[in-house]
Amino acid sequence: MSNPVFAQSKRDPESVNDLPQLKGELTLYLGRGEGGLYENVLDAIQKRNPELTLTIRRGATAALANAIMAEAKAGIQKADLFWAVDSGAIGVVADNGQGQALPPSLTDLLDTSFQYPNWAPITGRIRTLPYNPSRVSADKIPDSVLALADTDLKLGWAPAYSSFQSFLTAMRIQEGDKVTGEWLKAINAKATKYAGELGVVMAVERGEVDLGFANHYYTLRLKAGKPDANVQLAFTKDDAGCLVNASGVMALTEGDLPINFVRYLLSKEVQSYLAREAYEIPLVNGIEPPAGIPPMTELSPPDIDLSKLSDLRPTLRLMRQTGVL
Amino acid sequence: MKNRMNSLVCAGAVSLMAAMFSPLAAANGAIGDHVNDMKAHMDQYTQEVNWIIGKIDGIVDRYEEKGQKAAKAETVVDIWEEVDFHSAIETNYVPIYASIWQGLFGIKGKIDAKAPVADVRAEQEKLEQTLWQALGAVRLAAHYQAQNLLPEIQTTEKEPTTPVETVDDISHRLDRVVAKYAEQLSDVATTLVHDTYLYRFEGIEGMLIEKDAKLVTDMEKYFNVTLPLAIKDNKSVDEVRSVVEEMKTKLERARTLLEEVEKERKDVF
Repeated sequence: MSNPVFAQSKRDPESVNDLPQLKGELTLYLGRGEGGLYENVLDAIQKRNPELTLTIRRGATAALANAIMAEAKAGIQKADLFWAVDSGAIGVVADNGQGQALPPSLTDLLDTSFQYPNWAPITGRIRTLPYNPSRVSADKIPDSVLALADTDLKLGWAPAYSSFQSFLTAMRIQEGDKVTGEWLKAINAKATKYAGELGVVMAVERGEVDLGFANHYYTLRLKAGKPDANVQLAFTKDDAGCLVNASGVMALTEGDLPINFVRYLLSKEVQSYLAREAYEIPLVNGIEPPAGIPPMTELSPPDIDLSKLSDLRPTLRLMRQTGVL
Repeated sequence: MKNRMNSLVCAGAVSLMAAMFSPLAAANGAIGDHVNDMKAHMDQYTQEVNWIIGKIDGIVDRYEEKGQKAAKAETVVDIWEEVDFHSAIETNYVPIYASIWQGLFGIKGKIDAKAPVADVRAEQEKLEQTLWQALGAVRLAAHYQAQNLLPEIQTTEKEPTTPVETVDDISHRLDRVVAKYAEQLSDVATTLVHDTYLYRFEGIEGMLIEKDAKLVTDMEKYFNVTLPLAIKDNKSVDEVRSVVEEMKTKLERARTLLEEVEKERKDVF
């Protein structure tokens, strides 16, 4: 089974063994990521390329995006690269016209739905429906996230969680504010609230609720530590319930060096490392996803421009209006 | 306190010392260069502590003699913010810094409530003890700073780059939550809790889930419910501190687990 949204590209992934040595100076602005794993990747690239002088400025993703745009306005170019856990912030900078065009030889490495002209998604995280198989069978779970509002299933959610709000933003873009608001009200009336999405997954596993809303990695990590955990993953089709959000990188200065640096991040070694250690979804063709997630070609994420997910304000307003927050 | 600190440091626990003296930039207000040369300023700090004690004594005396209005208890904040010692303790030992604010507002609160003078004097005595304790902590920090055993105090925030550094950073931020709450800056304290969860804990929770999922759900509840609610409900500083201490105990376990994770991790290439 395949879908047009998640069609694989034809290029095989590149190995770092085939990439050119990086020589020269680069300044990377690094938005906060997976607790040190991005740092490990950068350390490894630096060690492999002793003639590269890599300067890293770390900070909150949105703050760095603002800094990049402010520097450009002032005629200053400090950053050569911007790597952020949130593609929305990348999109804001891209919309400001600051990303260098990426060559097709690079973008072709990515799944076709993740090919953007001036930034490259690195790895993804997918919205899922963790469910308790002792309480609900897979065939009773609708493949539409909107339809969940009309079921008798006992639901769990963490609406204050940032990834949930990105998912809701995607729903607003796809379905509009009216439909999203009605859905929110219906779910709010029946769902149990948790502080975070791991809490949702744990509640599903305990049988406190039948099904929840959560990013994929919570369930995978829980099952890695507790293989007999009583929780499975379901996916909706072609809607925000199956949104794949991504971390991303963009080259801000011209030349081969920043582009070749991006190639390292898209190498099969880095992609495999992030899939293995961070349970992130590799977005380069031919790399195995973390165990427990179907191949991306079997999933049906919505066709949404990820860079449009940056503005959460209308979503938060809607959540307040409906009494969710 | 000083003896306890000395015995710890003499045991060669330089890293532990770094954890006790946390040279972080203050979240608000300018930090003078003096904080990176505290030994040269110890006489000044001592004079300032004596000056504060005298000023506070004057407030309580006025309260005793002329009543609440004449006491001008609201000036406790100005008195404390007047001195360089303020940033010396804030950048080196946030828990005592929080206790000083707690003591200052303890006196102000009693006077505002027109409490018996004996009650105000009791608060005053507690504050004086805290100030001397703070001076002792700064003196000890100055001693080790002079031996280059403490990192330079940063005037801008430094991002942690490893999971263990992140745990230490979370712990220091939680101390600051208590300090800001003791300063009666509840909104600042709440924002700090929220930011610490979003920009720090979320970065390490994924690694912890495999090792101890319950620990992560407990911490999520502390960050998103227990601590913000304690602040919102205007619990006492001691109660908020107690929540933070429980969180820090759990963070110690997180630290151990993350060290294990890092040891087991395979190389990127």
